[in-house]
Amino acid sequence: MQTLTIVLGEVWTNLTMWCFYAFIPCLLIDGVAILPAPQNLSVHSVNMKHLLTWSPVTVPGETVYYSVEYQGEYESLYTSHIWIPSGCCALTAGPECDVTDDITATVPYSLRVRATLGPQTSAWSTLKHPFNRNSTILTPPRMEVTRDGFHLVIELEDLGPHFEFLVAYWRREPGAKEHVKVVRSGGIPEHLETMEPGATYCVKVQTLVKAIGRHSDFSQAECVEVQGEALPLVLALCALAGFVLILVVVPLSIWKMGRLLQYSCCPVVVLPDTLKITNSPQKLISCRREEVDACATAVLSSEELFRAWI
Amino acid sequence: MNVQQASLWLLGAMLVLYSVHTHGLRRCQVSMDTRHIEESFQEIKRAIQAKDIFQNVTILSTSEALQSIKPSDVCCMTKNVLAFYVDRVFKDHQEPNPRVLRKISSIANSFLYMQRALQRCQEQKRCHCRQEATNATKIIHDNYDQLEVRSAAVKSLGELDVFLAWIDKNNQETSTA
Repeated sequence: MQTLTIVLGEVWTNLTMWCFYAFIPCLLIDGVAILPAPQNLSVHSVNMKHLLTWSPVTVPGETVYYSVEYQGEYESLYTSHIWIPSGCCALTAGPECDVTDDITATVPYSLRVRATLGPQTSAWSTLKHPFNRNSTILTPPRMEVTRDGFHLVIELEDLGPHFEFLVAYWRREPGAKEHVKVVRSGGIPEHLETMEPGATYCVKVQTLVKAIGRHSDFSQAECVEVQGEALPLVLALCALAGFVLILVVVPLSIWKMGRLLQYSCCPVVVLPDTLKITNSPQKLISCRREEVDACATAVLSSEELFRAWI
Repeated sequence: MNVQQASLWLLGAMLVLYSVHTHGLRRCQVSMDTRHIEESFQEIKRAIQAKDIFQNVTILSTSEALQSIKPSDVCCMTKNVLAFYVDRVFKDHQEPNPRVLRKISSIANSFLYMQRALQRCQEQKRCHCRQEATNATKIIHDNYDQLEVRSAAVKSLGELDVFLAWIDKNNQETSTA
């Protein structure tokens, strides 16, 4: 009986020790892992920006950090033991990570997250379904349509290097043709057309992403109206007045200038009628002598008369 | 031969030439946007090429390999060289630097995507492999096998710009054709 008791005691001790040693690995996976693993991993992707989120691991009074790793389809097929630390979130505080710069090919990517608190780390929690960036939600882009004089100008939001824009614009009238232009990048004003006065022009745009072979829906059309019915009439009247003025002033000026030049260069001397000579020069000299004699005779006669009077 | 017969003969010859020409044009039209791959490679090129100690040897640049490929063999050759990198080079290279590893992963996954696209062309019988392309592929593999595997992998990674430039050149010729 005593032997049986001793044997049973030894068996019980061995069993206890065996169980204790068996459970140690369970407690010591990945270091001292008593932190729970993050849950509810999901990727929210809009316009080729991919955000990995998870439920936070809360430890009262402590800040828990997270590590994110990824594996592209290449790694999962050829080097499945290799996980690559995220460029932005090798160690991050928030329960989210922008993995846009990690997801760089249009193949499925696996993502995993674990929590870290000091020396403690949780188990890895892996995204349930691998994420492929061709499932991103593409939204119609924001655009600003402006008028610079008669120029139709559009500025599109900058969505990054993956995006091109297909711009459709037309004149709002029956039977008008729709024009299409591809704009390579946003954030820069783009001239579409020179508009005609009095017309209304409308524009709509969609994004194109060649890397995933998809495009967004078109945005709502925005229209601009070009004023200017009165302006051409005013211009025409001014042009007419100017033309008439030119027709009158220019010939007048030319004539006046001509006269000035004539007087300056080649003046014409005109004798008064009283100085005009109608007889020959010899007769003129003899006439002049007779006139002098007549004058002299006339003078003697006057002296005589004067003496006579005195 | 009278004029009528001569014109018919000429028309027939033109039709034959046209059908041969369009058959050559019915190639695999895949959008190969290698710009982002080139950007990734440029960021790690110096680090990779610094590890290449066999400067007098080349794997891709021999005259019998890429440069002598005819347009009708471009699809097959592209597919084969992509497989060379995906199946051998990336796997044989052990990269300890996380920054470089991220860029190599980006390139490797992009190559995988391109392989899938060319695979669809092959299923539609638009990526036929002639003997010339098969021979040129064998030359590349033989060059690779002549070196120790890690050195060969580093050298092949360092010559990625040769392959990417060749893809670009042939893509432009395909789009202008």
